[in-house]
Amino acid sequence: MAIQKILFASLLICSLIQSIHGAEKVRLFKELDKGALDVTTKPSREGPGVVLDAGKDTLNITWTLSSIGSKREAEFKIIKVKLCYAPPSQVDRPWRKTHDELFKDKTCPHKIIAKPYDKTLQSTTWTLERDIPTGTYFVRAYAVDAIGHEVAYGQSTDDAKKTNLFSVQAISGRHASLDIASICFSVFSVVALVVFFVNEKRKAKIEQSK
Amino acid sequence: MEPSQRNTKPPSFSDSTIPVDSDGRATVFRPFSLSSPHSRAFHLAWLSLFSCFFSTFSIPPLVPVISSDLNLSASTVSAAGIASFAGSIFSRLAMGPLCDLIGPRTSSAILSFLTAPVILSASLVSSPTSFILVRFFVGFSLANFVANQYWMSSMFSGNVIGLANGVSAGWANVGAGISQLLMPLIYSTIAEFLPRAVAWRVSFVFPAIFQVTTAVLVLLYGQDTPHGNRKNSNQNKLTIPEEEEVLVVEEDERSSFVEILIGGLGNYRAWILALLYGYSYGVELTTDNVIAGYFYERFGVNLEAAGTIAASFGISNIASRPAGGMISDALGKRFGMRGRLWGLWIVQSVAGLLCVLLGRVNSLWGSILVMWVFSVFVQAASGLVFGVVPFVSTRSLGVVAGITGSGGTVGAVVTQFLLFSGDDVRKQRSISLMGLMTFVFALSVTSIYFPQWGGMCCGPSSSSEEEDISRGLLVEDEDEEGKVVSGSLRPVC
Repeated sequence: MAIQKILFASLLICSLIQSIHGAEKVRLFKELDKGALDVTTKPSREGPGVVLDAGKDTLNITWTLSSIGSKREAEFKIIKVKLCYAPPSQVDRPWRKTHDELFKDKTCPHKIIAKPYDKTLQSTTWTLERDIPTGTYFVRAYAVDAIGHEVAYGQSTDDAKKTNLFSVQAISGRHASLDIASICFSVFSVVALVVFFVNEKRKAKIEQSK
Repeated sequence: MEPSQRNTKPPSFSDSTIPVDSDGRATVFRPFSLSSPHSRAFHLAWLSLFSCFFSTFSIPPLVPVISSDLNLSASTVSAAGIASFAGSIFSRLAMGPLCDLIGPRTSSAILSFLTAPVILSASLVSSPTSFILVRFFVGFSLANFVANQYWMSSMFSGNVIGLANGVSAGWANVGAGISQLLMPLIYSTIAEFLPRAVAWRVSFVFPAIFQVTTAVLVLLYGQDTPHGNRKNSNQNKLTIPEEEEVLVVEEDERSSFVEILIGGLGNYRAWILALLYGYSYGVELTTDNVIAGYFYERFGVNLEAAGTIAASFGISNIASRPAGGMISDALGKRFGMRGRLWGLWIVQSVAGLLCVLLGRVNSLWGSILVMWVFSVFVQAASGLVFGVVPFVSTRSLGVVAGITGSGGTVGAVVTQFLLFSGDDVRKQRSISLMGLMTFVFALSVTSIYFPQWGGMCCGPSSSSEEEDISRGLLVEDEDEEGKVVSGSLRPVC
């Protein structure tokens, strides 16, 4: 029961921490300043039906303050550029779901780069990381204020998230050495069972002959 | 007038340090001594089942990584969860008769050896279909549970059988919780050296090795009954030199097995207990599958925190299920079988109400608290079910344990399929409905009746003059009329 109490106390402490954290106001995506940034992407390979390879292909990404500007530009401190799931890759996948509550939003889990805000044109060339899963993506840039809260954003697609999307194919994790190791160990397991039966049978015969 | 002693031969381990009944079963439960075959069997049984739980539940914590890598959808993940329980339905039903036939030690080891390659093949998965298939066959390993309970019932007497069943099953069940903690750690460690897409595949080597190790230990150090292995006692019969008698013996064994099978399948109490177990243990399994996702989606906690919360649900088995078994024995000691049945109904009903409440609570802190209390009751209810199972039929114990055990996994499949599958799942409502179902089905305890001991609503049959022994030692079972079955002799006062 001591373990139970320790476990419960730990959970209680974690819950309290979480409660305190949850006391602040919930920030919503729709409150962000939309279209404040112009974002463009240019994959290293383009064309209908082209699928980029994780770990190989690159994206050239640019962002800048949009022509319409932003009323909250004074708050911009850092620009965070992220790779986001497009709607086709969110279907039937609750862990990639879009939420208006920002702390629950799971649309943009892959970070590309974070840079101090500069109103002039910025660009970077980013290689798709090896752990990017298969799916359809776009790029979004968030403007973040001094305390780390998002205040505005721009993205490489339109509001309906249908234009300028690109597809990525993840690398396969299967390797010949892993296959061989699994097969060898499986054979060991079955052989151990066979050896046991043979041994039991032999013992039974010995007992019979007594 | 005391009955004359049938067996004039002294017990084979009269030097043993622990008291035993006439069948050699221990009448005390001392898990921290390894000097007797009873406690060795206890540790081997729970450790072996622990490794099977660890394997079966080693995949869920890595599902977020596997889903990304293989592009699995939520529907595929849900179908795989159902498949893992479906696999153990058939294997548990088969395991009961297998224990009767070749003994729990051999059955348990065979199962572990054969399912270890399956968990290894998780590293070879490349498509949603193969993912579902792997989870289906890994689920077979949960049949080890039937061997575990059968073994404890062969080693421990009626006055401690609930506790022994509860502790061995509860400690084994902790394997499900531990894997929720350990597998992410194993994966994270390996991911330091290998790409993520490779790391999760390598992670499955560890549960496979663990499973084979425990199987070897069971074969080397375990024995089926206090007197030795079942196979040996069978072999001794076959040493009769004359050919005619050998044939007669074989014929007897075959018909005896069929009788055991029919005796178990035909006992309605086994099926009622299966239903009850389906809505205690089945609910527990379903919760194991969905609770991490529930906290992740509803309260926005990150994957690590969700995994920790889910792990705490499983780990509370270490005390909750043994507590259920202990309560069953305590009530049995004081009130007999009626006490065991009433205790089962009360605990399972409370578990159902707490589950309804879990789906209604809106704060993260409140949900965790209710979930924790719910885990205590639902797991204790599982312990209480198997405090009753050994008394249903001593002769067909394996079959009854198999029916009840498979009922748990049927319950999990049905519940998960009805309430948690499909594209637009509202987990809050589903969890409350699951609690309501648990509460309603708990009422089926009222239909369990033993002529010699009574049921929830009425006492023993007046025609039965036998002393109430559900408080203490197990005896040969009788048919429903209370008459002595021809062929099984009983001392006459």
